[in-house]
Amino acid sequence: MATAKNARHHVVIGSGVAGSQAAETLREREPDARVTILTLSSLLFYNRYDLPKVFRGHRDWREFLAYPAEYYKDHRIEVRRCSRVAGVDGSRRAIALEHKEEIRFDTLLVASGGRGYIPEELTEYRPLMHPFSSYTEAVTAAGVVPERGHVIMLGGDMIGLDLARTLVDTRHRVTLVAGQQTFWPHEVSEDERPGLIAALEKMGVEVVEAADAGGIASIEKGARGLSARRVLFRDGTELYGDAVMPFFGLSPSVEFMLGSGVDIERGLLVNPALRTTSEGIYAAGDVCQIWSDADKRYRFFYGWKNVRAMGDLAARNIAGGAEPWVPAQDEKLHIGADGKIQSPFWEYE
Amino acid sequence: MATDIQISIVGSAGDGTIAAGEILRNALAGMGYKVISFDVYPPEIRGFGKCIARMRITTEQAYSLKHKSDVMVSLDDSHAIPHANEVRDCGAVIYEQGSIVRLPEGGHMSAHVGPGQLPYPLPIRELSEKSTGANRSRNIVVLGFIAGLFNLPAEGFRKAIGKKFRNKAAAAEASEAAFKAGLDYAAKTFKLDDVSFGPPVSSVVAGATVEMINGNAAIARGALDAGIDTFFGYPITPATSIMERLANEMPKRGGRLLQTEDEISAISAVVGAGFTGARAATSTSGPGLSLMAEMLGMGVIGEVPGVVFVSQRGGPSTGMPTKTEQSDLHMAVYGGHGDAPRIVIAPTNVDGCYRCAGKAFEMAEAYQTPVIVLIDLYLSNRYETVVFPARPPFEADLNRKPGKQAAGAQYKRYALTEDHVSPRAVPGDKGGMHVVTGLEHNELGRPNDSAELHTAMSRKRHEKLKRALKHPDFTQFKRFGDEGPVDVGVISWGSNFGECLEAMLKVRAEGIRCAAMKVVMLSPFPTEAVAAFMADCQEVLVPELNYQGQFANLLQAHVARPVTRLNRVSGEPMKVEEIIEEIRRLAGSKAAQKAA
Ligand SMILES: Cc1cc2nc3c(=O)[nH]c(=O)nc-3n(C[C@H](O)[C@H](O)[C@H](O)COP(=O)(O)OP(=O)(O)OC[C@H]3O[C@@H](n4cnc5c(N)ncnc54)[C@H](O)[C@@H]3O)c2cc1C
Repeated sequence: MATAKNARHHVVIGSGVAGSQAAETLREREPDARVTILTLSSLLFYNRYDLPKVFRGHRDWREFLAYPAEYYKDHRIEVRRCSRVAGVDGSRRAIALEHKEEIRFDTLLVASGGRGYIPEELTEYRPLMHPFSSYTEAVTAAGVVPERGHVIMLGGDMIGLDLARTLVDTRHRVTLVAGQQTFWPHEVSEDERPGLIAALEKMGVEVVEAADAGGIASIEKGARGLSARRVLFRDGTELYGDAVMPFFGLSPSVEFMLGSGVDIERGLLVNPALRTTSEGIYAAGDVCQIWSDADKRYRFFYGWKNVRAMGDLAARNIAGGAEPWVPAQDEKLHIGADGKIQSPFWEYE
Repeated sequence: MATDIQISIVGSAGDGTIAAGEILRNALAGMGYKVISFDVYPPEIRGFGKCIARMRITTEQAYSLKHKSDVMVSLDDSHAIPHANEVRDCGAVIYEQGSIVRLPEGGHMSAHVGPGQLPYPLPIRELSEKSTGANRSRNIVVLGFIAGLFNLPAEGFRKAIGKKFRNKAAAAEASEAAFKAGLDYAAKTFKLDDVSFGPPVSSVVAGATVEMINGNAAIARGALDAGIDTFFGYPITPATSIMERLANEMPKRGGRLLQTEDEISAISAVVGAGFTGARAATSTSGPGLSLMAEMLGMGVIGEVPGVVFVSQRGGPSTGMPTKTEQSDLHMAVYGGHGDAPRIVIAPTNVDGCYRCAGKAFEMAEAYQTPVIVLIDLYLSNRYETVVFPARPPFEADLNRKPGKQAAGAQYKRYALTEDHVSPRAVPGDKGGMHVVTGLEHNELGRPNDSAELHTAMSRKRHEKLKRALKHPDFTQFKRFGDEGPVDVGVISWGSNFGECLEAMLKVRAEGIRCAAMKVVMLSPFPTEAVAAFMADCQEVLVPELNYQGQFANLLQAHVARPVTRLNRVSGEPMKVEEIIEEIRRLAGSKAAQKAA
């Protein structure tokens, strides 16, 4: 790829919404710079809100890509797939990839997002659950749920509930084992919750309150002649389904930033211009906590629109800007006039 | 679903790249697919040179390798990285996910997998070490992964692995474990590429056998099936394996093979053996052929049958011994002193190697002359699935024996006959005593340099060869593609013809009227047929792997008509795309002329 000698090298960790938007903006703002994306993914960027479509029979990854392969060639954006960042040395401006390759940068944007959080007491059952955070996971999950099959959804964050809408629509049976994270990342008061649960039931989702059943005791393989999975509750009740899918919100992917010189709380801490505590290192998307003057604390801003706006802002600031973060979407959960749940997270485009 | 998949494995010498390729193509051929394969070796025997095993697997017969592979395996990124862009979009790039040494930026395959390609990083080394205790079986791990990813029957691979290591129990055991490790890893891998194998199609007639074989092995087999008695040779890349194969097989059939001290001795012994009536041959490459030039002349003037298998490589001199080239055509057809005509035939594929090798002995005997079978490294090392007929299609004896001599008559070894071929006695034939020397002679073989005799004998030596143009059951040339007038006609020879055929088929699909002709008989030249073909062509394109356009020169010496030359000396087979490009250009300029 032809890039001017001595051009700045902007490296972006993550090919999600934030990283991809940032790369696009960086290319626009600095036509001569070298732009490299590092990602764990084996696919180019796709919008994850599209993933429920796998239950509508869409199983060709090409349909999901936000941009065709040519886009990256034309825009001279290098995408290093299947490349895990193992560490970042902020003072040397060097990234160590897990396969022992070193990459030097002039500026770094960390947009490594978050991965599905699983409560500690359930981690031992991980092999028996079907997560839904990537295309391959989505297709694998869809592959084990037959037509009109039964999905047991644990937790049920807004990502899970979005999938539940599709599952109900495609005549699957959905049982939600509800808990604290059911409406994550929305903050829902005790008063609002019953109405929202009722709206879910009206939508066609069967709801079991985990706390009422004493919590989950175990997840097992279904016995012969029964569905593939059994969820056993402490009160002795049980549920059988074709798949158990965990949705407990996301926890930021920051482990490779330990020792980088960047301050971390749960996410990477950034100022309103999305710069971390290290010169030249920025963060955007689900991985970062932004200083909020209004709240007097670092906080997360979730949702596709927010994340994309963060990627764009970080890139503009890397390219010399100094603009502060302004949320791009409201965070309120409603029940519409039609009795259906309405979330700004579900307004994709 | 028709299958057309190309897999390449790239590694360093010592990685087992070529062995993996061999197992893979044998496994696939055993499953019933048609396979065409061409490996690239480094000049070093062992060391750090680049090795590439490349194969195209099809249900319909393919004629050449494709420029872009569907799957590439890297066993050594430093060698494979320059080839990353030779994988098509949505194709798979399989590589070692980790590294035991620190890598500079760009030193890992992940940096080079294009946005359209699908990356498959695997812990190849770790799987090999865990399953076998050593990292030597990385190549077999990869085969297991390929079998699993593309859902190919593991049994076919196991058979091919068993065959490869049939005399090495420990290696066979380790390979089995490594294969399983790769297979199991594939079961956990999400397949994203769009490469998929349809069921194989078998079209073999009863009694025939199908074998995966390379050009040199096919030459050896053709020689054996034609009943070769004696072979004298001196090793030279890329011809050596002809001799190696014959060395294994000939003693079992009562034949004899001798490695001589050089090529001069080899050809001399062949001429000597031919004189005694044996079916004799030698094999060499360009530099060896130069050394043989003098004795070939002796074979011509003595009218002694003998076969010379020549596999060309990049020249001149030591040149590029492990690269392919078609630059010994002048040498084969014209090389030598005096008016020394000889038969030169050049097969265009592996099956052709078998047929030409056998037929060469027939022709040498029928027309009492040296015959050169001209192939090149690309054909020597190219593997194809070949269907061998139940019975060898070669005549065992075409010797024209002298009849009983009239009382008092002297046997005339060089009798001037109507068809210019004389009855030939061999030592031991009663009444057939004669002397063969390098001197011009009369009908009895006695030295004589009169103007009349030299003229008559020169004519005899030239004219008798023309009969070879009608040699039975031998494809001298063949036309493919559109019948009748065409916009562009492609004429080519030898190993390069496969690429021409592929190109012709592709441009026809685009609506260009196109035909291709292969010329197998280079000397004597089938002028009439070639001229008739050219008369049908608005434009004639002659692609070949040499700088001068040696075949185009030969062609134009026989048919006075301008042709467009396409010459490459990259050491690699010609790219089909380059030929297509040229055909399009010629067809386009023709269309433009018509419009004007
Ligand atoms: C199934 C699903 C449905 C969703 N639906 C909606 C929705 O309807 N509406 C909505 O607003 N939001 C939705 N979201 C959430 C939304 O997708 C996220 O907010 C958004 O993806 C976050 O973007 P991001 O760029 O910050 O990180 P991500 O999209 O999480 O991308 C993180 C990137 O970082 C890479 N990465 C992580 N660690 C490393 C490492 N060590 N080395 C190299 N690369 C690394 C990953 O490979 C990935 O490319 C959904 C999420 C999921 C999973």
